[in-house]
Amino acid sequence: MNKIEAKNVDFYYGSFHALKGINIAIPTGEVVAFIGPSGCGKSTFLRLFNRMNDLIPGARLEGQILIDGNDIYDRSVDVDVLRRGVGMVFQRPNPFPKSIFENVAYGLRVNGVKDKAFISQRVEEALTSAALWTEVKDKLKESAYALSGGQQQRLCIARAMAVQPSVLLMDEPASALDPISTAKIEELICELSSQTTIVIVTHSMQQAARVSNKTAFFYLGEMVEYGETKKIFTNPEKEATQNYITGRFG
Amino acid sequence: MVKFVENELQNIRKEISDMWMLVYEQLDNAYKSVLNADVTLAEQVAAREKRVNAFELKIDSDIEDFIALYNPVAVDLRFALAMLKINNNLERIGDYADSIARFVLRTELKPADRVLFEQLKLQQMYETALTMLKTTLSSLEHHDIAQAKSVFEIDETLDAINDQAIDVLVAYATEHPDAVRLCIELAGVFRKLERTGDHINNLAEETVFYIDAEVLKHRRTLAKDGDEA
Amino acid sequence: MALQFDPAYNRRKRRLQTAVFGLFRLLSYAIALVLFVILGFIIVKGISVVNWTFLTQAPTDGMTGGGIWPAIVGTFYLMLGSALFAFPVGVVSGIYMSEYAPGGKLVAFIRMMTNNLAGIPSIVFGLFGMAFFVTYLDFGDSILAGSLTLGLLALPIVIRTTEEAFRDIAPSYREGSLALGATKAQTIWHVLLPMAMPRVITGLILSLGRVSGETAPILFTCAAYFLPKLPASIFDQCMALPYHLYVVATSGTDIEAQMPIAYGTAFVLIVIVLVMNLVAGLIRRHFEKKLNTK
Repeated sequence: MNKIEAKNVDFYYGSFHALKGINIAIPTGEVVAFIGPSGCGKSTFLRLFNRMNDLIPGARLEGQILIDGNDIYDRSVDVDVLRRGVGMVFQRPNPFPKSIFENVAYGLRVNGVKDKAFISQRVEEALTSAALWTEVKDKLKESAYALSGGQQQRLCIARAMAVQPSVLLMDEPASALDPISTAKIEELICELSSQTTIVIVTHSMQQAARVSNKTAFFYLGEMVEYGETKKIFTNPEKEATQNYITGRFG
Repeated sequence: MVKFVENELQNIRKEISDMWMLVYEQLDNAYKSVLNADVTLAEQVAAREKRVNAFELKIDSDIEDFIALYNPVAVDLRFALAMLKINNNLERIGDYADSIARFVLRTELKPADRVLFEQLKLQQMYETALTMLKTTLSSLEHHDIAQAKSVFEIDETLDAINDQAIDVLVAYATEHPDAVRLCIELAGVFRKLERTGDHINNLAEETVFYIDAEVLKHRRTLAKDGDEA
Repeated sequence: MALQFDPAYNRRKRRLQTAVFGLFRLLSYAIALVLFVILGFIIVKGISVVNWTFLTQAPTDGMTGGGIWPAIVGTFYLMLGSALFAFPVGVVSGIYMSEYAPGGKLVAFIRMMTNNLAGIPSIVFGLFGMAFFVTYLDFGDSILAGSLTLGLLALPIVIRTTEEAFRDIAPSYREGSLALGATKAQTIWHVLLPMAMPRVITGLILSLGRVSGETAPILFTCAAYFLPKLPASIFDQCMALPYHLYVVATSGTDIEAQMPIAYGTAFVLIVIVLVMNLVAGLIRRHFEKKLNTK
């Protein structure tokens, strides 16, 4: 069963051909890592899954992206409904200028959830699943900015998980964090994979190796190779992949 | 990260342990098949050799994945390297068990041969080797360096029995010219058991290397050479 | 060959540095000195006039006696009125320019016009205010017309600070909100506005500080030479500090006797402006501490 499927995806920023003929199938419940040098298109591709690139003027998509078999670029799709089901965690922690509680509740509130008891319950569940509950349960009313960088990032993960997305997109979620916080995020990714399909863009090949089941290698807007992470890291098919993961270029 | 590594280490540890038990069982069964002239058991050992080989390949590839995916350092790296070598040594021991079983299959052992076995101290030789194998596994599981090092002493017993066995076989062959073939085959069995002892030494050395980062290989023999000089 | 350094060159370059930095220091001291002289002059001349009566009484004896109370009240009314106009209009325009139509030719044009608006001499605003608010809309000389004219003057600053405050918010905050299924409007209201607010309010207060000292825009639209009563509605005229200062210093029956009152008025005006700048700074610091995103 494929959660996300991309068929012949071409993407342009104005006249720049950013993604070239990409086909990929991401199975439900897997952790898939996108690796590749800067500017290879991996982040751009990730951001197509929740239509974040819609915000960019002059961007154009060809081909299809299906989630659960439905074309998410179809006219009938409401982009806010789509995004509710496809959570995203960003490179830098971006908590809102609100309390810890309100940060996590935000996704529920903007989607019209009013039931206070339900919101409290979801906030606790989300914070627990982000391994943050025990650290913050006594200071839910405090500003999110009082947390450390690593905690803020886990708060952002909790915020994304609060609306129970079936896909979680992570755009270099640990690149701004210290090694200990990074390790916690990586552990979290493994645990969350039981609840949601995860696609993670990372600059760290070790991170991709540690957390993912499958890895896709991007280079110059093309997807060079996609397969089991073990295979990619022990015996990649393409020479370009080998050169990249062994640090010979990129 | 520690958690992923821990899971993987656990898995490899379990596989090595299983491989170890499998090889132990092979060696033990080969021994029993010789002792009791048990052809059925010997057939079983020969059949299981395939499983040993397949298991070796599986462990090799798992350790390769572990190194590729988790870039282990320090104790984790020593563990991975040690397990790789232990795996290969176990497979060699499995090979010896197989060829001993094959010896049983192609030779019609007679109950009378038991007398010869006793003269050769086959039982002692075998039991020593099995004890060494078991002791080394226990030292790995309990991270017991002293126990691992104790194996080196026991190995000398094997060498001694093997040396004596040659004399016994030469004498026996002279008395019973019709049993020359059997004697040569038995010399091969003892040779294999002696080599098994060497491989178990390697297992113990790798165990110590993993636990203590101490490189024992060759140093021990060098020291012995020094003593003799 | 071993590298040879000339010790004399090193001494020369250090001497040059000392001389240049000395000059810089002197110039900045000079600027501070000028400011102190101006402030000192006003304070010395004005403070002796300022007392409770001066602050709470209307002018008497043909401007040669009494106080400036109606001018203080008038200035506050005008500031309040212009804030009520410039704040919503400015913030909404700023948000529109930053969030809804960024990068377009229209916005570039609007931005250019806004900058030009800021560069127009304030007397021109006064003239426009008289033609449009006073005459065309028939507000008459009134607080309403004056406030709107001053509001127009403050508008470019409010728009600029709002737009910049929104623009400086990292895109990932917008995306973070949108990624949770929020609409653009929800994102602006719940996330961006709270983040931009301190800077917007600071900009507004600074612009009001400037507006409160303007004379020209109210000259034709609102300000009265002398009113014994306080204004009762927004269609009344009012007195204002800067205009009052202008009047007592330039015209009247007895300029000599009026001069101390002029200095007193200037003193009060400067205090009001300084206090507002101080408040703006405090607000900014307070919110920055609270919103420290580092």
